[in-house]
Order: sequence, then structure tokens, then C-alpha cells
Amino acid sequence: MLIDVNAWLGTWPFRSLRDNTPDALITRLDRSGIDKAVVSYIEAAFHRHPQSANERLARDVEPHGDRLIPVGTINPLSPHWEDDLTSCIDFGMRGIRLFPQYHNYQTDGAEIRSVVQACAQCNLPVFIPHRLEDVRQHHWMDPGQSLDLTQLANLIAAVPSAAIIIPNARPLARSPLWMREDLRDLNWYFDLSLAEIHYGLHKSTNAMKDLGYLIEEGGANHILFGTHLPFSYAGPALVKLAILPVDEEMLEDIKYRTAAKLLNF
Amino acid sequence: MTLDIESGIRCPKIDMHCHVWLMDGWEQSADQLVASGDMLGITEYWCSSIIQQGILAPVEEVPPHNDTILSAMARHPKRIRGWCFVIPGHFQDAIEEAERCLDAGMIGIKLYNQYRINDPVLHPILELASERRVPILQHAGYPVPEHRASQPLISHGIHFTEASEKYPDAILIHAHIGGGGDWEHTVREMRQASPNVYIDVSGSNLDDGQVEYAVSELGVERVLFGTDGTMAGSVGKVLDADLSEDEREHIFWTNAERILAQQGAAPTELRIRN
Repeated sequence: MLIDVNAWLGTWPFRSLRDNTPDALITRLDRSGIDKAVVSYIEAAFHRHPQSANERLARDVEPHGDRLIPVGTINPLSPHWEDDLTSCIDFGMRGIRLFPQYHNYQTDGAEIRSVVQACAQCNLPVFIPHRLEDVRQHHWMDPGQSLDLTQLANLIAAVPSAAIIIPNARPLARSPLWMREDLRDLNWYFDLSLAEIHYGLHKSTNAMKDLGYLIEEGGANHILFGTHLPFSYAGPALVKLAILPVDEEMLEDIKYRTAAKLLNF
Repeated sequence: MTLDIESGIRCPKIDMHCHVWLMDGWEQSADQLVASGDMLGITEYWCSSIIQQGILAPVEEVPPHNDTILSAMARHPKRIRGWCFVIPGHFQDAIEEAERCLDAGMIGIKLYNQYRINDPVLHPILELASERRVPILQHAGYPVPEHRASQPLISHGIHFTEASEKYPDAILIHAHIGGGGDWEHTVREMRQASPNVYIDVSGSNLDDGQVEYAVSELGVERVLFGTDGTMAGSVGKVLDADLSEDEREHIFWTNAERILAQQGAAPTELRIRN
């Protein structure tokens, strides 16, 4: 079993994506040997009030419930977002996606804390992507900002009961999040999409290893399998999975067991 | 058909864009590089140590970088080959440094972002490379303006096209399609370039479709496998690209082998098929 915690449907305004419909994505998952994928509509990041995208997601994913796991999007600045959260739960969404950079709020502010607290009370994991696209190529209409992981660490500290997944993060071992030793026992997770394991472009032998160093330091239980399909190739995450320096039990956790638990399967 | 990652990892690869740095502990980093390649089927690395950020460093600061690479080549003779880094504005000193390193066994010349590839200051370097049939690999890309500000003289596709108009026989390699920036832009700019202009797939940007785009624009014979330190990511993007096995073999091996052959060299190890 392999669960991808980092996949998408829909349109990215600045570059054509392939395999971005439910049927096409499932074909791509089949080709990649991935059994299930967590999906949201990309457009929700650009909608001031993303509930219509959530409704479309629920409708479009429903026929593919065995493969695609819907995750709704909340904008904490949208009036009555609590109603959207209730609606997402009614739709069977397995988590909530937040976009501080796109909906324009602080990652450790009062607004996001309220949403994360509410999700924790409902036992829903929260997905906060570190970035959607490489900021070095961002279109002038895109904010071109990566998530502030120092602020994210503050958020995790403020809502310690929450489960928070941060797809597309890099680097990991030197991130302000891993540096916060007081947070290492809490439920937050990186994915395999971007970080390198054994060697990277850094002039220090420890920094070179990044994901490998995170594992050496005891952080393997903070790793999930994620690809960032269809923005990114699935191959990089699959290659990393094949060479991860972890034992069989930990590998099964990374492949699906931890994700299944978080997603309440 | 499901991707066969295990088999793809074992497939032999030449990483033509990587680094060993001039630093304390370079030996350990070189060993780490080789060990990581063992896990990914990379049989040899073409490495450089460079002066970054466009710094026009004094001439005496260049040779220690190349000496580090020569030492790494001696430490791992079957696995590490060298790119000779030079700053073309050092004129005759740059030529002499390139000749010293090529005579010592390096296989090409590495340029960073001190000058664009079409700058006339590079003409002696381009002539040397053409004469000796060695490739030039240059740091390149088309980042957005705020990221370009720190490297105003970074080359992109149009500069390679212009350089190749004057030196059509020079083997020029645009580094890292995934190095950060609008990769569609820089690749499109090379449509009219000489067939001796290549691009490598390295870099931390793993956008889906990137490799196929380079192949469709330039032809599979002009796309090279490199990592620039994004090891599993670069292997993964080529394995996942919608290409035939023959096309993948061109990228992982045959194109680099052909570049070596032009200077009378060959891969350090025979390619053993799966």
C-alpha cells in the first residue's frame, strides 16, 4: 500500500499541467504504483471563498472514492469559515488545506490558529504546503513566497493537539521546525517530494544529507510519502522511497500507515 | 505500464554536472558523493569547484578550486572526473589554467556567472574548447527578476544560441534546466542553436514535463543527465519522463559518452545493461 499525501486536481494558472483530472490522475497513480492520493483543487488557493471549489471537489472525487482522498480548503479570512468546515466534514473530506501565502494571513496568527484548533477538535489533519511552485520561476501575478517555517513552528507550539502536514518542504534537517527540539514529539510531518537523502548542494557534510540527517537525528517518524503530482514528477519521491535508510517497519509507516492513521482510515 | 523504479535505479548513469567543494572535509564529501551514486547507478561524476555569486576573484584564488578536483579525481579515479573552473576575465591566466587542468586529465571547462557565454571575453576560451574538442558547462537559467538581481550576468538560452552562431563547433552545455527559473523560456530560446548546444536535467526544480519539453524542443541527443546535487530527484525525473527506454539511455549515458569520444575519451566503466 502506498498513500500519496501531496497531490492535486485542477488548473495552475501559469503553466499547463497534465494528468490534472480525476481520471488522468488515477492513470498516473497506476503508472506510479500509488494506491491512494490526497487531492485538493488548485483553484481553491486563488478563490477568496473556496467553498465552491470544495463542493466541486466532493462531487468530482465521489466516483473515485477508493483512490482519491478529498481534502477541503478553508480561508480563515472568509466570513463563517466554520460553516465551510462543517460542510467539508459532511462531504467526507479527510483533512483541511490552508494557504497562508495565497489567502494572505500570518502562519502563526490568530486567524489560522482558530482554524487549526477547530480541525484538531474534529480530528482532521491540516495540510499547509511549503510552496506550490518554485519561487524562482514565479509568475508576476503569483505571490512567489514559501511558507515561513519559523512561524509554522510557532503555530504547532500554539496548537499542540493538531496534526499538521507540510508538503514540498526543503531543507528539512536545518529547518527552523526541526531545530525546535520542544516540538519533536508533536504531530507534524514533511513529505518526500523535494528533500534529498544522501547528498545535496551544500558546503557542509551534514547539510548535504538533509533528509538522511533528519533520519539520523531520529526524525523518520515525521516523514510521509508525497509526490506533488501533477505539478512535479512522481519519480523523485519513488526513488527516495527505494533508497531510504530506514528499517522495514518505518518504511511501512512512511508508505501508508502513518498517513492512514492521520486520515482516519 | 507501472514504472520500474528498482530497475531504473540500477541502470548505469553518467552524472555530468556535480561538485566537490574546496573546503575542509572535501574528502568526506567526495566519498559521500560516490556512496550516494552507488545507490542510484551513477558510475561517474563530472565535478567542479567554483567561485559563486559572480565574484571576479583574484587569479590566484582559482587554482586551489581546480586542485581540489584533481585531488578528488586521484582519490576516486574510476568515479570522479573534472571540470576546470576559470574566470574568463583573467585572459591568458584563464587559458593557462584551463590547459593545465585539461593536460592533467580534466574533461571540460566550467564557467559560472561572472560573464555571459556570448561575451567576447570568452572567445579565447571557446576557441580553446573547440580546438581540444572539450565541452563547456555554464551555470545558466532564467530566474525571475528578484532572483536574477544577485546574478545579473547569468546566461540563458538566447546567449547560448548567440555564442553557438559564432562558434558552431563548440560543445556548449546550458546547466540545470531545473536550476530555478522559467525553464520553458530558456529552452525555447535555444531552438535555433547549433546542434552542439546541450542542456542538462539537473537542479532542484522537479516540474512534471520538464525533461520531455527539453527533448521535444532540442531533440533527445542534446539532453544530458546531471544532478547538481539533486541526486534522487534528477534520477527520478528522468525515470518518470514519458520517454522510450532508448531515449532514456541517451540521456543517462549515450550523449555523455559521445561528448567524451570527441576528445578521445570514454566512460570510466563499460556500460553494463540490466
